[in-house]
Amino acid sequence: MAGQLIRLIEAPQGRPLRIVNIIGGHGIRRRLRALGFHPGDLIERNSDALFGGPILVKNLSTEVSVAVGRGIAQKIMVEVVDGQS
Amino acid sequence: MASPDRPLIVFVGQPNSGKSTLFNAISGYRAQTANFPGTTVTHTHSEVYVGGQIIRIVDLPGTYSLNPADPAEKAALAHLFQEPPDLIINVIDASLLGRSLELTLELLEMEQPLVVALNMIDLAEKKGIKINREKLENLLGIPVIATVANRGWGIKELISCSLDCLKKRDCRPKAPSWTGDVEKHIQSLAESIPEDFHCVHNRRFTAIKLIEAGETFCHEILKEIRPELMQRVEVVRNQLELLRHLPAFEILAAERHHLALKLFESVAKVERGKRIGLEEKIDSILMHPVLGYPGLILIFSLFFFLIFLIGNPLEGILLRPWSWLTAWIQQQSWPSFFLAFMDGLIQGIGGGLAIVLPYFLPLLFLMSFLEDLGYLSRAAFLLDALMHRIGLHGKSVPSFILGFGCNVPAIMSTRILESPRDRFLTSLLIPFIPCSARTAIILAIIAFFLGPWWAMGFYFFQLIIVALVGNLLSLFLKEPSPGLILEIPSLKIPSLKTVFSKVIWQLRSFVQFAWPIIIAGSIGLSFLQLARADIWINWALSPLIKGVLGLPINLGITLIFGFLRKELSLLMMLQALGIEYHSLPEVLTRSQLVVFTAFVSLFIPCLSTFVIIWREISRRAALLSILLNISVATFVAFLLRLII
Ligand SMILES: Nc1nc2c(ncn2[C@@H]2O[C@H](COP(=O)(O)OP(=O)(O)OP(=O)(O)O)[C@@H](O)[C@H]2O)c(=O)[nH]1
Ligand SMILES: [Mg+2]
Repeated sequence: MAGQLIRLIEAPQGRPLRIVNIIGGHGIRRRLRALGFHPGDLIERNSDALFGGPILVKNLSTEVSVAVGRGIAQKIMVEVVDGQS
Repeated sequence: MASPDRPLIVFVGQPNSGKSTLFNAISGYRAQTANFPGTTVTHTHSEVYVGGQIIRIVDLPGTYSLNPADPAEKAALAHLFQEPPDLIINVIDASLLGRSLELTLELLEMEQPLVVALNMIDLAEKKGIKINREKLENLLGIPVIATVANRGWGIKELISCSLDCLKKRDCRPKAPSWTGDVEKHIQSLAESIPEDFHCVHNRRFTAIKLIEAGETFCHEILKEIRPELMQRVEVVRNQLELLRHLPAFEILAAERHHLALKLFESVAKVERGKRIGLEEKIDSILMHPVLGYPGLILIFSLFFFLIFLIGNPLEGILLRPWSWLTAWIQQQSWPSFFLAFMDGLIQGIGGGLAIVLPYFLPLLFLMSFLEDLGYLSRAAFLLDALMHRIGLHGKSVPSFILGFGCNVPAIMSTRILESPRDRFLTSLLIPFIPCSARTAIILAIIAFFLGPWWAMGFYFFQLIIVALVGNLLSLFLKEPSPGLILEIPSLKIPSLKTVFSKVIWQLRSFVQFAWPIIIAGSIGLSFLQLARADIWINWALSPLIKGVLGLPINLGITLIFGFLRKELSLLMMLQALGIEYHSLPEVLTRSQLVVFTAFVSLFIPCLSTFVIIWREISRRAALLSILLNISVATFVAFLLRLII
């Protein structure tokens, strides 16, 4: 699965992921950048709220945690990074 | 404008970095603080006397970058750009250094005197982040002071360093330059901006803002006076975008990001593999996808029961001297005018003290604790899905929770919502949340006479009403709300000191603003009764009071006063019926008690809430809110009358 481009919403929990691209409109891209989520960053999907609620993602280098709605998680493209690094 | 004899210092920083805590440490508690990004939504000013001179300090809302996204951020930046301060103190959460430096780099571009307060050093150490302060100072070219705001560490150094910067030391940074071709384009645009066009601080910074910010007031001015320059901006933006195949604002953001990363790597060492702390353990339960929900219900119930368990006996104790005093006054043979005055005065003072405060105080403590713990954003995470049902998302949850304390700051807090539609809807729903005044009424009537379980049910019932009204309203406001993006700050075990100073601050404002209204209202009612004017008002309201709600006609007047302060309805109820608190169940049936409480707590936003909706949202929203509350209250109270 490593190296394959997937949406954050399809990504596995608890494994390092690299943000490849954010395909949303300018508003979303600006907001995510401002919160410290840039293309190239390593992140981890930590927890999903029930009933189709948001997803908790943590930036592995800055330790910032952000809750993003499922609609937003559709728009964040990531790839799974192999465990050793 | 900044003046030399009273220099102006502003606190700028990312949300939740501790600006307000620092501000309070210097000026005494006067700005709201909480472990939630977006606590401060408006500016707070203070003048302090330090080092033999008066300085003016301003606490601003947090902002992630200098390109605002929501009304609170816009307010911060408008202040920063329109009234250039003598010194900016950039407050940084040291445990999030890498990200925070991006804003710092943006501030450097302004080339205004700047000092960095490296706050939350304690948290950074806990996380295993070691920061070389001197090196950071050298690389940035401005003073960097380490602080722990909530314990007052480093405040003295920060003040004396700031005074130095105001007097002699040169704390004006140089803007960092970017990679070759990007820098070249920015420079060329900067040079074509006329010398005298100081829209924001300096020409390079103006150029940057023209390129990356959506619409700033600079664009407006420029369109007016130099339309040809606007075209030039477009050209440079296109050149940049061709160069990197990215939107221009992302190119500049990426430049800062890389600089920030390089800075971070050269000044900070991160030790991995630290132990998992108590906070993380608690957090993993609070945020657990399954356990989180029972946790939420448990916290909510505990919140309610604790207030009752503390407030109830306290009320019992405080009521005794009060009823004794009331009885004594009624026996006096004073002139009727004076008697009415004294009676109203004692009702107002005693009611506030014996009936309202016993519930208000524990509520303040618990709210304060939850806010400082960081639970607001966690509840937002858990309840996001539920909020979709009423056409909102999780970011409104913190505002609703604040509403349990007081609706006024709750409505202010909607400034962190990006979409005006969400603000409108949230502000219309907040007045249905039982605030501390209404909690006092519910506990003092329902819990005191019918038992805590009844009150608990009543409380939940009110939340269901919020949900139903929300559902209804969202039918008319179809526009989809954009998805949730909310930072979850690290969990912080609240310090007793912050919790206490917060409670005292809120208590003081209750004594200053709310209590006088309660007392004046009670005295007003006494005089109305003396002049027998209450009869007319009661008569006019009797179709509603007696006809629809089935309550004694005498209670009509209490509703009028309930608009001023909700507590007044409760206190006046006794005054209007001419009875003592304990004999309430002898005069009213159980059903009447419930109907009255429901109606009073729902029927209208109180005066301050009405004013704040008018000011913050619109006149239309404020009037709509009144209409909505009256209809819902009448409908619900009538239903309750039939059921119970
Ligand atoms: N451990 C620790 N906690 C701190 C420190 N400074 C502030 N806090 C806590 O951090 C939280 C945020 O502080 P605030 O002062 O409200 O932050 P702010 O920057 O004003 O936040 P906004 O108004 O939302 O932009 C509060 O719960 C404070 O008690 C610190 O140095 N160490
Ligand atoms: Mg603040």
